Amino acid sequence: MRMAKTVVVEALAVAALGVAFALAANALSPRGLQLNRNYFPQAAGSSLAATPATNSTVMTAATGATHTPSAAAQRLQQRGLQLVTSNQVAELFRDPRYEQGLVVFIDARDDQHYTAGHIPGAWQFYHYRADDYLPAVLPACMAALQIVVYCAGGECEDSEFATIMLRDAGVPRETLFVYVGGITEWKANGLPVETGPRRSGQLLPTTP
Amino acid sequence: MTPSANGPGSAGSRAAEIFPVLARWFLGGMFLYMGLSKALHPVEFLKLVRQYDLLQHHLLLNFVSSTLPWFEIFCGLLLLLGVAVRGAAVMLVAMLVPFTLAVLFRALEIHGAGNIAFCAIKFDCGCGAGEVLICRKLAENILLTGLSGALIFWRTHRLCLRNSLSRMPSSATTSN
Repeated sequence: MRMAKTVVVEALAVAALGVAFALAANALSPRGLQLNRNYFPQAAGSSLAATPATNSTVMTAATGATHTPSAAAQRLQQRGLQLVTSNQVAELFRDPRYEQGLVVFIDARDDQHYTAGHIPGAWQFYHYRADDYLPAVLPACMAALQIVVYCAGGECEDSEFATIMLRDAGVPRETLFVYVGGITEWKANGLPVETGPRRSGQLLPTTP
Repeated sequence: MTPSANGPGSAGSRAAEIFPVLARWFLGGMFLYMGLSKALHPVEFLKLVRQYDLLQHHLLLNFVSSTLPWFEIFCGLLLLLGVAVRGAAVMLVAMLVPFTLAVLFRALEIHGAGNIAFCAIKFDCGCGAGEVLICRKLAENILLTGLSGALIFWRTHRLCLRNSLSRMPSSATTSN
């Protein structure tokens, strides 16, 4: 009985010291998480989550082709986020306004994936480290008329969270669009991919 | 058993002394490695913890995701150094049991959702080792839980800096 009590007391001491160590290590780590920040804004009852699906927008494709939204696209629409299709994204990329900064592409993935290949000229906004990217990305977004946010595609949710975070940072809601297909679809369509930093000029060979 | 078999220099006796040390080092090394692999990629771990859908509030989710890897490192270091071994072992059991149940329930959920054999289910459970076959992961966790449980009851001070935070008279009898 005495031994059990001793072990329990020791375990509680380990727990207390361990939590203190963990909190200190997380605070000191350059990769540490911010405890009070909501990294998944829609999960905490974002205002977008409450927006009726009827308010959602899918840009009409110039070709007039019908578009069957995926499960991810349906979810985004239900949250009131505006979507763009692959045809529209390709058109926006070729739009002269892109070079003028009136159309902006935002890559919501981490450094490793961004450097490995992104839409040429896209800004990186890894929302988990928002403070590192917002000073550069926010002015570009505020000056733009259309902003396309993308991540890997498929079940990737980072473009969704990045869009909500940009909206919360003051970017007009009507300028923000999510490209659900993401970089995977972009590459599959044989469109150009830039490696390294933004505007590096290093393009991967296209494979249509 | 013959007296010689239990003598101080016998192979059985040596194994009985060495096995708890090896078990402690194995567990300590495992937790140190798994904790570091999560602590170095906290965002990935945060996403994986979220997938379990067990922690709804972001404060709780952030707290668990940011502290758990470092807590594992802390416990791993305690075991490697031989400090507060039983207390650290209790904390390992306290982490492993709910986590193993969470992995099991998630695997059952996936199993129920599709026509996939249970042992063919493979996903990144947030254990720090990437994608794993779930049957293998469950077996591994049962082994780790068993070893952690054994460390609570084994009383050996061999190669320990400070086996217990308190000085228990009973533990001195098995001290080396």
